Amino acid sequence: MPIIDSHLHVFEKLSDEFPREVNDQCPADRAETAEKLLEVMAANGVDQAILTQIGGTQLTHHRYLQYCLKTYPNRFRGIGLIPRDEWDAPEDHMDRLAENGDIIGFRINEIGGSADPLSQMDVRTFTSYRIWKHAAKKNYVMWLYIRAKDAHQVAFMVRAFPEIRAVFNHLMICPGEGMFSWDGEGRPHINTPVPPMTRYSMLGLHEYPNICVHLSGQYAFSQEAWPYRDLESWHKTLLAKFGADKLMWATDFPWILEDPGYDKLVQVIDELLPDLNAQQKAEIMGGTAKRVLGFPDVAD
Amino acid sequence: MRRPTDAERQEWEDNGVLFLENAIVGEDLARLQTTFDRCAAEARREWLEGIAKGTRPAAHFDIPRPLEKDDVFIDLIDHPGWYGFLMDFADEDLILLAPQVRTLPVSPISYVGWHPDVPHTTPLHMKAQIYIEDVPADGGAFGYVPGSHKPDAGACPVVRPLDSMPGHKVYPGKAGDVVLFNSYGWHTSMVNRTLKPRKSIILIYEKWSKDRISTKHFAAIAHKCTTPDRRRLFSLDER
Repeated sequence: MPIIDSHLHVFEKLSDEFPREVNDQCPADRAETAEKLLEVMAANGVDQAILTQIGGTQLTHHRYLQYCLKTYPNRFRGIGLIPRDEWDAPEDHMDRLAENGDIIGFRINEIGGSADPLSQMDVRTFTSYRIWKHAAKKNYVMWLYIRAKDAHQVAFMVRAFPEIRAVFNHLMICPGEGMFSWDGEGRPHINTPVPPMTRYSMLGLHEYPNICVHLSGQYAFSQEAWPYRDLESWHKTLLAKFGADKLMWATDFPWILEDPGYDKLVQVIDELLPDLNAQQKAEIMGGTAKRVLGFPDVAD
Repeated sequence: MRRPTDAERQEWEDNGVLFLENAIVGEDLARLQTTFDRCAAEARREWLEGIAKGTRPAAHFDIPRPLEKDDVFIDLIDHPGWYGFLMDFADEDLILLAPQVRTLPVSPISYVGWHPDVPHTTPLHMKAQIYIEDVPADGGAFGYVPGSHKPDAGACPVVRPLDSMPGHKVYPGKAGDVVLFNSYGWHTSMVNRTLKPRKSIILIYEKWSKDRISTKHFAAIAHKCTTPDRRRLFSLDER
């Protein structure tokens, strides 16, 4: 069974060849390249990875991601982004990014229905509806890092499109308004209770067969240093509800390179789920991602 | 005050659950419904703000500190429609742990899976779920596995979907009906597939044990609890 890092980011220095947005986290002269990633993957026995777009939603912003996918076709699969002003008609953007088959899905952080759970819910009025509808038609994966105010809407969309493979990023935690900040190392930090209040809207999704959850992003939610013991109970809850065959390990490279280090993230599942049997651990560390996301054999 | 018949007591012991039709009716029910809606409307903005911040659950809406909001909620705690049953089951030594004045939004999934609330090492733990409006079987009705409260029953299996639990029973009801259940038993809120949120009140009780509830816990309503029975029910005095 391969080991697959199922969610991380790479980017090149800003250039005409690889345009991208610039911010404090990703300044113009910073590069966290695929080659650097492959080095740490090799050093830690990791075979493949999902590259999740960072640095902008426009087609041109995806050039470095597309370059990496083309250069290392049996190592990576990609997740794209969709400009917010194209959500009304996202189909062309999605298809153009996915036309080579190596960008397999799209990441969104809002569902776009009513923020009041007592409202009538009609998914056709949700702002992300056409993305979901097209994903269902084209068998794209939905990559979800949903804000807290939308968490209760997810089940309606999943019920409408149960055939869609949906992967909830970062422990299925949904960040609340005003809870986001940057930590001392320039990384995202989410001030949220764990277990999250949104669990009441999310854990029941385990009843749907195509819902998966990332075991990742611990550094952003924990109040402790590695191995983030305060999140152990939540990892066990996710395991109990979804099962190992619906969980995917990921590092969120490059934000963890310095603290705690990629090697520590490779061990984090052993630390937080010490009672896994060999089969379960193999599923979480890569088996689930290979099966659900359609990775090729490494030797292909 | 109603007390359980021998048959009802036997049913409680065998199944761990008892359904009381028309436990609260007439003026009492109407006053409760009106107060429920008023207090929910007053608390709704704060709830929505909490949802956005991730500090309140969206899957159920509980009115905070209901006992301090209106006496109608205090009067529910020892309401004659069910209080006599709970006293009987608790050997006449009952305390309140908490009330949950709860609205359950419509959702394709339940906010909670099948579960017991407490292990058998806990003193007898019971809940009364009062339906404020009619609750059809597919409207977030209470579900229970009769007999699962017994110490030798063992754990129930993990099931998907919720309604595939072997041996479970769903308890739809009319406004004013009440389900009493032993919280050692496996239970859930079934999925609300209707277009209407479910309104119910869940009162959580336990057989008295020392230091379970602080004498300060319900101090805010102490002036409204003047009889010895109520003071004991709300754990207002040291014992």
